[in-house]
This record gives sequence, structure tokens and C-alpha cells, in this order.
Amino acid sequence: MTLALIALIPLLGACLPPLTTRSSRTVTAWAAAAPTLLALLILAAQAPAVFGGEVVRTSAEWVPRIGLSFSFMLDGLGLFFAGLILGIGLLIIAYARHYLGRRDPIGRFYAYLLLFQGAMVGIVLSDNILLLVVFWELTSLSSFLLIGYWNHLPEGRQGARMALVVTGGGGLALLAGMLLLGQAAGSHELSEILARGEEVRASPLYMPALLLVLLGAFTKSAQFPFHFWLPHAMAAPTPVSAYLHSATMVKAGVFLLARLWPALAGTDAWFVLVSLTGLATMLVGAWIALFKDDLKAILAYSTVSHLGMMTMLLGFNTGIAVIAAVFHILNHATFKAALFMSAGIVDHETHTRDIRKLGGLYWLMPVTGTLALIAGASMAGVPLLNGFLSKEMMLDAAAEATLAGNGWVVATLATLAALLSVAYSARFVFGTFFGRPRTAFEHPPHEPPPGLWLPVAVLVVPVVAIGLLPGPLAGPIVEMTAAAVAGPAGLPPVKLTLWHGITPALVMSVAAFAGAALLLLLIHHVERARLRLWRPEAKAMFDATVAAAVAGARRLSGGLHTGSLPRDLGVIVLAILAVGLAGFLGATHAPGAREVQPTGIPALAAWVILVAACAGLAVAHRNRLLTLILTSVVGLIVSLAFLQFSAPDLAMTQISVEVVTTILLLLALNLLPKTTPAEPGTARKLRDGAIAAAAGLGAAALAFAAMTRDFETISTYHIEQSKPGGGGTNVVNVILVDFRGFDTFGEIIVLGIAALAIHALLATALRGAAARRLDAMRMGEVSGDAHPLMLVVATRVLLPLALTLAAYIFLRGHNQPGGGFIAGLIAAIALIMQYMASGHAWAAARARLQPLTMIGAGVLIAGLTGMGSWAFGRPFLTSTFGYFHLPIAGEVELASAMAFDLGVFLTVVGAVVLALSHIARVEQRAERSGHAPEDAALPPGPPTAAPRIGLRTPAYGRED
Amino acid sequence: MRTDWLIALPILIPLLACALSAALWGRARAQRVVTFVAAAALLLASAALVAATLEHGVIASQMGDWPAPFGITLVSDLLAAAMVAITALMYAATAVYAQAEDVERREAEGWHPLLAALVFGVCGAFLTGDLFNLYVWFEVMLIAAFGMLVLGGGREQLDAGVKYAVLNLLATTVFLIGVGMLYGLTGTLNLADLARRVPEVGNDGAVGAVAFLLLAGFGAKAAVFPLFFWLPAAYHTAAAPVAAIFAAMLTKVGVYAIIRVFSLVFVGSSEWIPWVLGGVAAATMVTGVLGAAAHWDIRRILSFHIISQIGYMLVGIAIATPLALAGAVLYIVHHIVVKANLFLVAGAMRRTGGSFALAHLGGLWRRDPWLGILFAVPALSLAGLPPLSGFWGKLVVIQSGLEGGAAWLAAVALAVSLLTLYSMLKIWMEAFWKEPPAGEAPPDLGGTTRLLMLGPVVALALVTLTIGLWTEPFAALALAAGEQLAGREAYIAAVLGGGAP
Repeated sequence: MTLALIALIPLLGACLPPLTTRSSRTVTAWAAAAPTLLALLILAAQAPAVFGGEVVRTSAEWVPRIGLSFSFMLDGLGLFFAGLILGIGLLIIAYARHYLGRRDPIGRFYAYLLLFQGAMVGIVLSDNILLLVVFWELTSLSSFLLIGYWNHLPEGRQGARMALVVTGGGGLALLAGMLLLGQAAGSHELSEILARGEEVRASPLYMPALLLVLLGAFTKSAQFPFHFWLPHAMAAPTPVSAYLHSATMVKAGVFLLARLWPALAGTDAWFVLVSLTGLATMLVGAWIALFKDDLKAILAYSTVSHLGMMTMLLGFNTGIAVIAAVFHILNHATFKAALFMSAGIVDHETHTRDIRKLGGLYWLMPVTGTLALIAGASMAGVPLLNGFLSKEMMLDAAAEATLAGNGWVVATLATLAALLSVAYSARFVFGTFFGRPRTAFEHPPHEPPPGLWLPVAVLVVPVVAIGLLPGPLAGPIVEMTAAAVAGPAGLPPVKLTLWHGITPALVMSVAAFAGAALLLLLIHHVERARLRLWRPEAKAMFDATVAAAVAGARRLSGGLHTGSLPRDLGVIVLAILAVGLAGFLGATHAPGAREVQPTGIPALAAWVILVAACAGLAVAHRNRLLTLILTSVVGLIVSLAFLQFSAPDLAMTQISVEVVTTILLLLALNLLPKTTPAEPGTARKLRDGAIAAAAGLGAAALAFAAMTRDFETISTYHIEQSKPGGGGTNVVNVILVDFRGFDTFGEIIVLGIAALAIHALLATALRGAAARRLDAMRMGEVSGDAHPLMLVVATRVLLPLALTLAAYIFLRGHNQPGGGFIAGLIAAIALIMQYMASGHAWAAARARLQPLTMIGAGVLIAGLTGMGSWAFGRPFLTSTFGYFHLPIAGEVELASAMAFDLGVFLTVVGAVVLALSHIARVEQRAERSGHAPEDAALPPGPPTAAPRIGLRTPAYGRED
Repeated sequence: MRTDWLIALPILIPLLACALSAALWGRARAQRVVTFVAAAALLLASAALVAATLEHGVIASQMGDWPAPFGITLVSDLLAAAMVAITALMYAATAVYAQAEDVERREAEGWHPLLAALVFGVCGAFLTGDLFNLYVWFEVMLIAAFGMLVLGGGREQLDAGVKYAVLNLLATTVFLIGVGMLYGLTGTLNLADLARRVPEVGNDGAVGAVAFLLLAGFGAKAAVFPLFFWLPAAYHTAAAPVAAIFAAMLTKVGVYAIIRVFSLVFVGSSEWIPWVLGGVAAATMVTGVLGAAAHWDIRRILSFHIISQIGYMLVGIAIATPLALAGAVLYIVHHIVVKANLFLVAGAMRRTGGSFALAHLGGLWRRDPWLGILFAVPALSLAGLPPLSGFWGKLVVIQSGLEGGAAWLAAVALAVSLLTLYSMLKIWMEAFWKEPPAGEAPPDLGGTTRLLMLGPVVALALVTLTIGLWTEPFAALALAAGEQLAGREAYIAAVLGGGAP
């Protein structure tokens, strides 16, 4: 597991720096440096084996079932990159200690940095492509945090988001590409995939996998046309730019191309896609870099250009180009990080990065100036420095490349890019450090503390050393790395020498220098010409795309969610109709064989009334009272239908429910406007009517299709088993409390919760705005006698009778129509009558049982009865029954289901009474205030709709 | 313990809690004890149920001891057991979090019994093996959710409540029509029995139509395109704990019902099913995420992401291979935890920053970095970033899409996940990074409130991280659940083959 540690130590070490923020900043820096150093040491311990040609592997399972293992491998390529990441990381940590200001939270900075470092090392050491994707996304995320480190700056935030959206999006493409690649190769292990290159390239999945992987690599490495995010990422503090956006993260894409080279390269598609993208990026980046004024922007676009160069080289499909690419990765990492840090020093000391304001700094800060001069010269490709060598090799490789049979195109364009590179390098160095100072600084800038320039110096040493002695110093590393890239294909011998003789590359190089001198002389003319050309501004385009997408989303969303209930209902019904129709027409439909029964006169009459009531509802729906009456007509017809089909229980239930709901609704209507608001538009009504009719016809057709066929049903069993199994002859009741008692169980809870919901709903009506509206409401004229004596007397006489009836209905339920539900409704109606006749206060004062307690008790009784069967080792709700001989009553059957039924009874009564009493309370509030004199000034409230059923506390309510 | 008890307990525990806390009306302290005890008991019971289901495979219990298909059967397979377990977790998290803010008023209006009733309905829906019984549970959920939505209601909540109730009633009515028709065609309601009888009906047109009626009924519950209007109309008005449990459970019951019925009963009933499911999945993913892009209120953004992610689950159901179903299962489990957590964090963000509107928030990262981290974990998980739970769900769904010949769905899923990331970045940049707006900010979260609010958030974030890092057992469970769903035989045998003693 040592290999895994190299990635995990920085990841876990990320917790350390924030813990030390109470100590000095140096301690925090050491807390970040320690894990890096440790990881570097572990890596170094593995190095000899890798140099010896060995590939170190380690593997552990993570999620084997989806082909993800925690496996790492260390070969030349991995060692090379990991060394770069950790080595430069160490320098950056030292540099950032001095770079960041006192007010910057440095602990967080180092935490992000280590997170990034670990993820990056993870990418280069992964031996599993999914693991690689995991680390890949982690680098995107940590780079987001680092770019947005100065999140009080809008540029920082926006640059961070753009980077994450572009690279994160690429990461998703990469994920898909890797899955396809894994499918093509039959494994998710990288070493397996690399060994099966032939297979992969022959697979039909090669092309999509290639495109997706390249999308991931190109976005990460800022290849044209995805290059635009990188310059905006420069809003990050300079150590971040130096580390992520020149030395490491942006090279992840290049790394991926190198890593997968044995599997994916070697085809024409690879050559065209990769090398041309690289070439275009190289040119575009260099061209833009030449005209930028911000030091970091120049470096950013130059980085884009150099990344393009590496990509192009890897796209050439030749071993010599791979060697050049690897060598350039190494060289670029050294001189570009040095240049970024130099730019950071300039910014730190002068507080500007605008090249138009700088100049002559060499004399003020000679050390920095010298270092930047050397690194800049290397970037330009001046001989005796490392940049020269790899540029020569690039030009060499480009001179050999043929595009569409033409050997000149690539070579010429590569020379042009080299030319531009010389030009912007010269402009960078001379514009900043030489010439006349262009600003009178208040405090003349001076040499920074060594903590800032030492890391630069450390990087400049290899720039010179490799430049002078390439073979001995860089040769083994490059050879080892390039061999790992090329894989089984093998490589030509690696020869890194200073002098190759007069080669085409040398000629091209000289041409580039001469051209660059000419270009710099004419720079002002060129600039003027450039300004006349159309220059696409990537950020503006990105922002415009995002803005357009958001605007589109808003339009779409606004169109979808209008908040209009009728429209929503219309859409839903149409959608259901559409899929229902699709389902019906998508298969063959055989008409049923059952004979159609003759239509009797009563049935026809009921049907006509039903249809008429529904039609009346649709027409008169604005009148709420009429609506209620017509709805109850529908309910009555339905109960008649139940009677007709021998279900008296259901009919009784339906009628009782109708009574209760009608009364409750009438009470509620009292508080509402008499009519609903008018709906505009005949066209809309016609449209809605058409939708409704179509849905109704659809449902009818389906019902017809179902009912014209015979089928075998479970109710046969219910009828047979009702008496022997359930102990009752009324099969409907036995179904309700026994066969399907569990449904009833759920339904009584629904009832109880409905009562609670009414409670929650109306509790608010007595407070705040709703209460003020109630207070403002003026009730219509109340009939002279709110509580007619006859009604009071009649209901009180009826009460015991009704309760007896309820008890009777309850008891006989198991064998004859009845049961707890109906009995509960009857009892509830009897109680409601008391409330209506004698007033709420009178009745409430006499109520012994709180409705909520009744509901709770009812549910508990039902539940405990069901659980009682557990005591006998039976499942929930298993019923038992027996016959007992009681004095007077004689033979009586008692079933445990009756206890269950009692629970149902209590819940029903409680729920109805609770609903009633809440509505009554609201009404009382309205009435009391409606007659208060101070309300006379308020606008008149809506007239009452329903005839008055007074729930007002009568003056004489307390008399009896 | 007997399996009969184990299956019934997750339904009975919240039931007893509901009844007791209703009976203890007005005695908040006692109600709290009931709720916390019930949540703990439900966690234990569901853990035992998962263990039993892992050990015995699919288990069933016949209510009232009537042999299937004549009575009602409760069934627990891996999917159902896992869903019950996650419900228990949500119950506990919501119950604790609700104590942090505004608790007295909410309790006075019936918070405890309503919450228990919702959990009761949800658990019932997961465990039932009977189509009509499922309808009953839908009703329980509907009425309990309505009650919770209007708790402490102002005009906004009432408007939301009415829309919620009307649109959901339409959906349940369509569901009920479907149940009636299916009974008319097959003469049975037991799901396992239906699975046997539906292919024998011989009236494929009617069966196909019924299948889609049920799909529409469940789909409206699950808030799929174009039946989702109730969700954006309602969720953004609810208090944080209410929104959290809604976001976690309500839509997922719809998805669960789709999985259950379409993997068990309507297998191959209509050639259109995969196409309709796939099309609906894609449209749901896209419209949801675009809706999120259009909004600048955290709760609205989060609500639209629910819709979008329902689409991911449907992708799994549309492809319907064992791997795809496993992906859907993994995704559901992940999504419940993450989505609830985001709503809970949003509540804490409002408390700290004073608003749900992004325009009025800012500077939270500097003020309360822990809050930032606690937001980042579920937010990045939602966007599917590794190594968090959302990545695995997404990975499996996409993998099954690529292997199951539905690459276009995988492509849509990937594009949508990028937009999701963008949307989370929007919240992060506005609420956490941006400079705070002028004016006095509310005081920092402190003391007990912080503990009560962030305790559940931390717990759920740890679950997300656990699934993310220690993925294997969850992946194994999801794959086994996928196999069970796609296999069908185990379920049918457990129900009809005398599974109960």
C-alpha cells in the first residue's frame, strides 16, 4: 500500500494546516510541507526500482462489483509526474508562505493545495481508470477552491466557476469515455487496457470512447476551443497559477494522452484529432499571448500554447515525438513555474501586473530580474537553456509530419508558433525588467525576501543545467518516461544533445528568431491590424451562453409553471390520456365475449339523473350551494347503484357519508363567498370541456373493455369463507374487518389524520390575517330563532334512539348490513344534530370525551387488537370468533374483529366531531365579531350562501 | 423474532406513535418522548428487517392469516427493507431537527401525530404486497402531507396545500381507476398474483392502457414530467423539517411504486413501456434541472432538483436490466439522504444568513465554515462528484445505460449532472462566497439550536460519506436488490408459495 500512501498522505494531510492557524504562519507552512515531503520521500524510495525497469503495483478492492479497485501503479510516467507534482509543490508551499498577505486565511489555502496535490498524484498513479476519474474530478474541485480563494473578488468567483464547469464537464465526458474504454477492453485496470491496445482500437466502441476521452483531456489541458477558462483562472493567487495552471493540473490532460497512448494512439483519427487540436492551440495561444498586457495573462496564454505543443507531439504517433513531448513537459514545468513566480514577485512588490506600467525593474530587483530573464529565454528557446532543446526536437518532429500528403503545412505552422513564442517571451522580459520605468512608484520596489525568490532560483538551476548537459541530467528520466508512454510499441534511442548539426529544425529555429525580431519591430502596426479583425472574446461568449441558457430555462420554467391549477390539471389529464391511448393502441385488443345485459328502466333513470347532475355541476359550478346539492345527488345515485348490486353496507355507508359531508360543507360554505370567481374565455371552457370529455370517454371505454369479459376473482373465496373462516354471514363486513381489515385499518387513520389536518388548518384561521378577515366578515341576516325549540326537543329525543341504533348497527354488522364504520357515522350524525340544534357551546360543554382522545383511542384499540394475534403466534390482525351463551340475550357471537370494529367506530365519531367543532369555532368567531359595532365601518363581507344553521351560542343555551 | 412481527413493526411503530401523540394532544413534552422513542424503535426494527431480509431472502406476512391472494400480504424484499430503513433514518433526523426552531407553535398544531402518520403511510407503501392496499397508503400519505404542509399556515402555505391536495387527488384517482380496471381484468389485487395473471388476460390493449394509468398515478406522485406541477407549487413554502421529509420520502414512494409494479406486474405488457419511461426520464431530468437554473431561492432550486433526479431513477427503471435496477436503487437511497440533508442545511443557512433568497445571502463561508462544509457534502454528492454517494448512483445508472443500449439516456444524464453542478455552484458562490449584503445579519447559530440543527445534518452527511467511501456493501445490497427485482420468482414464491408459517 506504499503507493497509495503517496496520494493519501497529502489528501489526509490537508486537515493539518487549518489546525495550526493559531500558531505562526511558518508553522502552518511546515504543516503543509511535512506531508508533501513525506510523500516525496516515499516516492523517492520507489524510484530505483522504477529506473531499473520495474513497474511497482499495489491493489486493494474498493467497489469490485462496479469494476473499481483501489489499485495504483508506478512506472516511469507516473514517477516522472509524481516527482514533478510533489517537488514543485514543495517549492510552491515555501513561496506561498511569503506571498500570501496577513489577512488571507493561510490554513485553508494549504488545505486546498494539499487536497489538490493528493488528487493530482492520485491521477498519475492510478492503475484503474475509474479511480483515475475519481481523482480527476477531485482536482477539478480543489482547483475550484484554489481559484476562488480570494472569493471576495468577483473575478475570482467567476473564474473558479468557469474552470469547474469546463473541466467538470470534461470530467463527465471522460467518465463516459472511460466506461466505454473499459467495455471495449474488458477491464477497468489500466495495465490490462494498455496491453490490449489492438483490441481497443479494433472495437466499434473505439471512436466514441476516443472522442469522449479526448474531450476530457482537452478541457483539462485548455486545448482549443476550450482554452478560454485557463486565463480566467489566473484570478487565483499566483502560487496557484504557478502550480496548477502551469506545472501540474493543466498537464493532467497531456498526461492522460500519454498514459493512454499505447491503447488509443496509432490511428489516423488519433493523429488528426490530437495533433491538429494541439497545433491550433499552440498557434492561438501564442498569438493571443503576444498582445496581452497583464503579466499573468501573457503567461497563461503562453501556457495554453505550450500545452498545445505537447498535445501536438503526442498526436504525431511517432516515438521521437513522444520523447520530445516528455522532455518538453519537464522543461516547461521548470521555466514556466519560475516565470509565474517571478510575475508574482513583481505583482507583490509593485502592486501591478500591467506591462504597460512596468519597465526597468531589473535595476531595482536584479536577482528576480536575472532569474526571470533566464527562464524567459528558455521559454523563447534560446540555446544553452532547456527550452531550446525541446523546441528543437518539436520542430524536428513537426518537419517530419505530413498532413494530407503535404509535408510543409505542419512544419510551417510550428515555426510560426515558435516565432510567436520568441516574440511574447521577449516582450514579457524586456517590457518588465528593461527599458525606462513607466510609473513613478511611491515606494520604489525592491528585492523581495529570499523566501520568494529562492524557489524561483531552485527552478532556474535545472533550466540552465539541463540546457548545458541534457544527456547526463535529463536523459535517463526522459528515456524512462518516454518508454513508459510508448509501452509495448518501443522507442527509438533517446539522444539528448546540445548540437545536432545543421538540421531543418535549426534552420526553422533561426527563422523563428529572425521573424520574431521583425515582428517586434512592427508590433504596433500588427496590433492595429489585429484590432480591426474580429476577436472572439471567450469569456463574453461563455457568459452569454450561460445567460442565454438561464433565460431559456426561465422561459421554459415560467411557461411550464404558471401556477394556474386548471391549466396544470388540463396538462396532466391530457398526458394521461395520451399514454393510456398509446398503451391501448400499442397492442391488440380482443373484444369481450360476455353478453351485454338489458337496460332496465330504473337503471336508465338513475343514469340519466347522474349524467344530468354532472352536467348541471359543470354548468352551475360557480354557485357553491347548488354545486353542493348536485354533488350529493351524485352521491345518492351511487348509493342506489350499490343497492342495486347487492351491497347494502356500501349503500348505507355512502348515504351516511353524504349526510355528514353535506352538513360539514354547508357549515363551511357559510364562511365563503356565495359564488366562485368567474373564469374568462369561452375558448378555454370549450378546450377544458373537450379534455374532460375525452378523458371521461377514455375511462368509460376502458371500463367497457374490462366489464365485457369474464374473469375469475378472489371474491369467490371471500363469499365461501365468510362464515366458516370469518365468522360472519355479511361478506362485505367480513371483507372490511377481516379479509381486508388491513385496508380499513389504514383508512381509519386517514380519517383521523384528516381531522388533525382540519385542526391544523383551522387553528390558523383564528390568528393573524385570517382572523382579521373573520372579524371583518358580516354574517347575513340570521333567522329570528337560531335554535327553534321544536328542533332542540326533537334532536334531544332522537339522541338516545340514534345511539341505540348505532349500537345495534354496530353489533349486527358481522352478519347483516352494518358495522363500525356505519355505526360511527350514525352516532356522529346524532351528535351533530345536537350541535346544530342547541349550539356548539351547549353541546361541547356536555361532551365527556375529547374527540382527539377518541381518535387516538380508536386507532390504539384497532392496532392493539391486531397485535393481540401475535400472542397466539399468528400474523397481525388474525381474527378469532366464538359463540357464547349470555343470559337474556341468548346465543351471542363475539369475534375479535368486533374489537377492531370498535376502534373503527371510535375513530369515525371522533374525526367527525373534531371537524365539526373546529368549523363551529371559526363560525362563532365570525358571528361574534360580525355583530360588533366597531366593524360597521369595514367593507361588507360576502353574503352568506347557505341557509343559516345556527351554531351560535343561544342566549338560552344554558337554561336547561 | 418472528418475521411476521418484523414486517408489521415498521408500520405499527409509527402508528402507535401517531395514536399516542394524538391522544396526548397539548402535552408537548410527552409527545416528544413518544416521537423520539418511536424513531429509535423504528430504526432498530428496520435494521432487524434488513438483516432478516438479507438472511432469508424475500419474506412475507399474510395479514389476518388469510392465504394470499385472498387477504392482504406484506412483503419485504431488499428494496423494501432498505427503503424502510432509510425512512426510519429520515424520521429520526427530521424529528430532532424540528426541535431547533419554531417548535412550540408547530407542536401545538399537531406536528408529532402528523409526522408519525406520514412515516406510517410511507412504510406501509413500501411493505405492502397488494395494489389496493398501496392505494390506502397513498391516501394516508396524502392527508398527512397536506396537514404538515398547512401547519402554521399563512396564505402561501394554504395556496400550496390546496394545489398539492388537488393535483395529488387527481393522481390517486387515476391510480384508483387503474386498480379497479386491473381488478376487472384479472380478479385479483395481490401483486404477486397479478404478476402471474396479467400475462394470461389476453386483452393486451386494455392491460397496456391500465399499465399506463398506473404509471401516470405513480408518476404524478413521483413528480415526473409532465405531471410534476404540484411539487414546485408546494415544497418551497414548507418549513425546513417538513420540506426535508417531503423531499426525502414523498416522491420516492411514487418511484418505488413504479419500480415495484413495472418490474413485477407489467413486464413486457406493452412495447411502449421502455420508450415512455425513457422519454419521461429524459424530459424529467432536463425540465427539472432547467427549472433549478431559473430560480434564485434555495428551496425552489432544491425542489426542482428533486424532479430532475427522479429522472435518473426512471432511467434505471426504463432500462430494467438487473444492473440498471440496482443503479436506481442505489440512486434512490443516496438521493433520500442527500436531498433531505440539503433542505435541512438550507434551514440552517436561512437561520444564519436570514433568508432563503440567494440575493440576500452572502459571506457564510467566512462566517461559518462548518456550515459550508456541511452544505458542500450533500451538494457535491447531489451533483455526483466522487467520492460521494451520488457518484456511485450516477456511475451505475450511466454504465447500465451504456451497456443496455440506451446511450442517449446516459448522455442526457451526464449533461444534466453538469447543470446540477452548476446549480450547486450558484448556491455556493452566492450564499457562501459572495460578500454579505449590507445590513445586520442574524446572530450566529449557537448553543442548543446549533446542536439540534446541525446534529442531524452531520449524521446524514456521515451517511453520505460512508456510502461514498465504503461503497461495497451498499453496492452489493443494491445489486442484490436489482437481481431480486429483475428475477421476480423469489417475490412471487414468497407471497404465494406459502411464505408465511
